[in-house]
Amino acid sequence: MKMALPKFAVFCIALAFSAGAGLHCAAAAPADFDGVWVPDVKDQHRQEAQNVPPWKPEIVPQIQRLIAEEEAGRPFLVLSHCLPHGMPTWMLISHNAFEWLTTPGRVTMLGEVDGNRMRRIYTDGRVLPKDPDLTLHGYSIGHWDGDALVVDTTAIAPQAYIAISEAVGIPNNGDMHIVERLHLAKPNELHDDLEITAPKVLTAPWKTTRIFKRYPDRHYEIIEGECEQEDLIPGKDAYGNDIFVSHPQRPDGSVSTTK
Amino acid sequence: MVSPKIACVAASLLLSLGGIAAAHHSGAAYDMEHPRDMEGTVKTVNWTNPHITFVVEADAKDGQPAQSFAFEVSSPGVLTRSGWTKRSLQPGDHAVFHYAPLRDGNPGGFLLRVNLQSGQELSFSLQPSDE
Repeated sequence: MKMALPKFAVFCIALAFSAGAGLHCAAAAPADFDGVWVPDVKDQHRQEAQNVPPWKPEIVPQIQRLIAEEEAGRPFLVLSHCLPHGMPTWMLISHNAFEWLTTPGRVTMLGEVDGNRMRRIYTDGRVLPKDPDLTLHGYSIGHWDGDALVVDTTAIAPQAYIAISEAVGIPNNGDMHIVERLHLAKPNELHDDLEITAPKVLTAPWKTTRIFKRYPDRHYEIIEGECEQEDLIPGKDAYGNDIFVSHPQRPDGSVSTTK
Repeated sequence: MVSPKIACVAASLLLSLGGIAAAHHSGAAYDMEHPRDMEGTVKTVNWTNPHITFVVEADAKDGQPAQSFAFEVSSPGVLTRSGWTKRSLQPGDHAVFHYAPLRDGNPGGFLLRVNLQSGQELSFSLQPSDE
């Protein structure tokens, strides 16, 4: 998977000579991160038990209630909607793969599930906009530190969860800042060292690592992110065109046997 | 359609995980410790995120009337990487469904494995085992 050095050099020279590109070799990725990465779900579960966030005292009862509800067979469904899962939840607990794409000045993570699971990490030297709109994935700026990509993410919507499992998560409630150090622990093993600062819900920055694995021989691909086909099903319009038509479901959005 | 070889690999991977978690949300609503089998015919396929659902009409037998079961399973991404396609299980297919039942007693549960009349077995794993 490693990029051949001569090819890389040619790429850099080409960039250097491209008028108005405004980019330089230092912005290029030093290692090959491109490909489809599958989360290590077993390690996610180990982290859930062994590395608890420093929740503020007033948050702890909420966490205890969510854990009790799950143990009682009534799990709170942190991810049962079709919104982007947001940061840091995507990196912490998703079971789905993402594709890493390195292009000049930018790293893009393309995910699955909802229609807009995508992180744009700008590596072109820009600074954070002065007054950014808040989004579930926030605004990410990265730089290469040796063979690691260091990513600063801010401007995250207060509704974005800090989820420690699929049944236990708390909205960050605002002012969250995430620093990640993404590096290859092995050629096909990506580690994301996260430091999450969330002053509304945590007493101190929470550090945790998530592991993703790449399986080149399996030729995995991510698939189209679509999250509507319990609400919309294939049908026809008055002209006989193939369209999606409304499909009612139970008020709680759960599976219905009477559709 | 999934080749028997892929299904076999997927099944062995599934077993190697020593159990399976529901994708995208907690599986606590399901009794993973007491899986069951039922036979029936697929009525509806919802191949969608955040989780796929199948509605299956149970065969009427032993004096029991036909009854609809709702099965939840993982996501299109996870099943695709386990060798399924959107067409692996279609309305009208008759099969044996191996599932973790809903704890609330409603008919349905978390789908673990499907054995089609053709002999084909469909299952999945969240990630390959580390060989």
